[in-house]
Amino acid sequence: MTNNHHQPSDNPASKNSRADKNSCAGISLAAVSLRYEGKYLFKELQLDLPQGQCSALLGPSGVGKSSLLRLIAGLQPFEPSGRVIIGKNQAQLPGHLSAEIAYMAQQDLLLPWLNALDNVTLGARLRRQRPDHARARDLLRQVGLADYERALPATLSGGMRQRVALARTLMEDRPIILMDEPFSALDAITRLRLQELAAKLLRGRTILLVTHDPLEALRISQRIFIMSGRPARLSEATLPEGETPRDPADTALLAHHAELLRHLRAADDDSAFGAQQ
Amino acid sequence: MLFTHIRRVLFPALLIFLLGGQAAQANDKLTLLLDWFINPDHAPLFVAQEKGYFAAHGLEVEMIAPADPNDPPKLVAAGKADIALSYQPQLHVQVAAGLPLTRFGTLIATPLNTLLVLEDGPVKSIADLKGRKVGYSIGGFEDALLRAMLARHGLTLDDITLVNVNFSLSPALLAGQVDAVIGAYRNFELNQLAIEGYKGRAFYVEEEGVPSYDELILVANPDHMDRAVLRRFLDALEDGVRYLVNHPDESWELFIRGRAELDDELNRLAWRDTLARFALRPAALDRARYARFAQFMQDQGLIEKALAVEDYATVLE
Amino acid sequence: MMSILRPLIIIACLVLVWQIIIWLSNVPHFILPAPARVAEAWWVHHATILGHAGVTLLEIALGLLFGALLGALSALALAYFRPARRWLLPVLVASQAIPVFALAPILVLWLGYGIASKVAMATLIIYFPVATSFYDGLRRTEPGWTDLARTMGASRWTLLTRIRVPAALPALASGLRVATAVAPIGAVVGEWVGASAGLGYLMLHANGRVQIDLMFAALLTLAFFAVIIYFIVDTGLRRALPWQPDKLPTEQEE
Repeated sequence: MTNNHHQPSDNPASKNSRADKNSCAGISLAAVSLRYEGKYLFKELQLDLPQGQCSALLGPSGVGKSSLLRLIAGLQPFEPSGRVIIGKNQAQLPGHLSAEIAYMAQQDLLLPWLNALDNVTLGARLRRQRPDHARARDLLRQVGLADYERALPATLSGGMRQRVALARTLMEDRPIILMDEPFSALDAITRLRLQELAAKLLRGRTILLVTHDPLEALRISQRIFIMSGRPARLSEATLPEGETPRDPADTALLAHHAELLRHLRAADDDSAFGAQQ
Repeated sequence: MLFTHIRRVLFPALLIFLLGGQAAQANDKLTLLLDWFINPDHAPLFVAQEKGYFAAHGLEVEMIAPADPNDPPKLVAAGKADIALSYQPQLHVQVAAGLPLTRFGTLIATPLNTLLVLEDGPVKSIADLKGRKVGYSIGGFEDALLRAMLARHGLTLDDITLVNVNFSLSPALLAGQVDAVIGAYRNFELNQLAIEGYKGRAFYVEEEGVPSYDELILVANPDHMDRAVLRRFLDALEDGVRYLVNHPDESWELFIRGRAELDDELNRLAWRDTLARFALRPAALDRARYARFAQFMQDQGLIEKALAVEDYATVLE
Repeated sequence: MMSILRPLIIIACLVLVWQIIIWLSNVPHFILPAPARVAEAWWVHHATILGHAGVTLLEIALGLLFGALLGALSALALAYFRPARRWLLPVLVASQAIPVFALAPILVLWLGYGIASKVAMATLIIYFPVATSFYDGLRRTEPGWTDLARTMGASRWTLLTRIRVPAALPALASGLRVATAVAPIGAVVGEWVGASAGLGYLMLHANGRVQIDLMFAALLTLAFFAVIIYFIVDTGLRRALPWQPDKLPTEQEE
């Protein structure tokens, strides 16, 4: 068993070196329960996410997808009976999992007073470590923003800012990446490009992607979970074959898209029904 | 039966009572702006009020206390009030600045201003003020008074340091922040020190080179004043002074009637010390005395030219 | 060009309105003098006025410095130490509820009649807006940033210094702007209680001597300097926070 302690990467150019070292960095949830205003959001939820793969989490609004993500990130405490297991680490209190996880939200969360390069190296600063500027520059180049390292976020477009956020996430070099609708605020074309970029750069890490776009889930994930009902339950959907990112024009993919929409529709009705109980 | 009877008597009685009240309200109304918060310097006014002397002369006088002593003369000059209590030195300057004001009566016929020091302090005579600090309030004339008092001892204003302590004259003296204060009233600040257990020594300005003047006078706007009504006012005021002089203890009770907050030791002591200073003949005017003070003000550079007394003082027949 | 012309036009309009009020309302000159008289008084006494202005400006500057410093430190203490919140916050609120006029004589008694009591007054008036704005800004940090920082392993101290404080700087700037606007009031109130120099003192003195023209000349000089100081502070703050562009759409260059 390889150990899960965070070690700085010695080869800045290697993208997947960390992922290779952590063959046991999958996420497991065992009997996790969370209440919101007295009602159970999820009750004794069971989830196993395979390591090194991208899993998408779909579902209607309000079902608790973001809460689940925050719970895994260590930002949201849950009832003592449950366990969140990452590799060998078990946790239930906020903050204990932070060494394994990188978090990317719907807003780019760039600090407006720092330029792009300083935003990418934010983690090091917050941990009082010396930032690795060379690696940060390389990552900015990989996301296509090589000339923008001195730019303030206010001067960048939405898509560019989310790319900086992606570079920041990569800079953290964690085995687990949690993404909460990272591309939903962008226009369609920018979204497609960023999906491809993310799929390429994040390959080999364990990713949990919350999204409300079924096409996005089909394009870049290896497993799709649908969350529905109150308390929420998870069900799996079938996936097309092929390497990610998958071609959106592919007929097989489109067929799966239609199927997924039907599934989501049913889940939404189910949720509405469940909420009324 | 009884009911109708009562109604027949009660109703007209009520009507007469109300109408009778209306008839009594045919008094002439006057607004009088005091110079400051109510204090024993205003004694004759309140005696006249409480003894009904104003009403007996067909007057209804509303007395208002301002927060800023500079306001009342300006308001009278602007036609917003009938009478203001003011100070003779201020009158000279105000008239010179073009305010339409005229003095028609006197309330306090002597100066009250003193240069005050602590009895066991370093200042035994005015000559000792050399190189010392003197506190003053912003009234505008304290430096002129000081200049005159110092000149008699061969000193100028450059030999002393003036510190503006605004209205905290006694505290500043007691705290040792200044060696003397000017603008302290002989009936007030001296007693204030005594209450705190200190003995004060007063240098009376009119004994130290400043001509005598009236500390509190009554002014009106010559363009708006009703001479007949104001004459009746002065008659009522004179009744008040007469009663005050003859019955000082009963007058004190009238002063604090309904104004319990005025009943404190300082006011009691000040009352006793002010009695001898009220003008026994409020309407009387000593022209030469006023002209002499106007000349003094001109010599001190406070006004450009001493005006004729008729321009700022009048006698109501 | 326009940026210089605009304030001049505004001033001209205000003077015109002032003159019209005098013509229409017939208010006597010893209550509201005409612009011409005030201008003449300013010309005749300008050396005296400017001398006193220097004193008041110094009081304002020192008051701003101390008030802003104390305010910022208080806000940081409140944001970082939980017990401070319970004990200091009520004091903060009380400090603003007490009318400064009531405190002025006490300050003068403690600090004397020199410049110290005036600076203390100005500091008191400035302290509250700075402390509350900055504290508010520190409390209202964008929750996404705090979440991100926690997942990155930031300590409570690092979270405060690297994220909450920079994020709250615009709020601090707002507080400083308000403080700059009220600073002259603090200085002048202090002078009213007991001073021998300064524009507030000059105004009182002129009022006592029935030199109303001079009083207004001093008053307008104070207003003029207050506007200049505000402008300087505002420009300085905008330069210091370049990442916070003016959000109103008409001000953005396309």
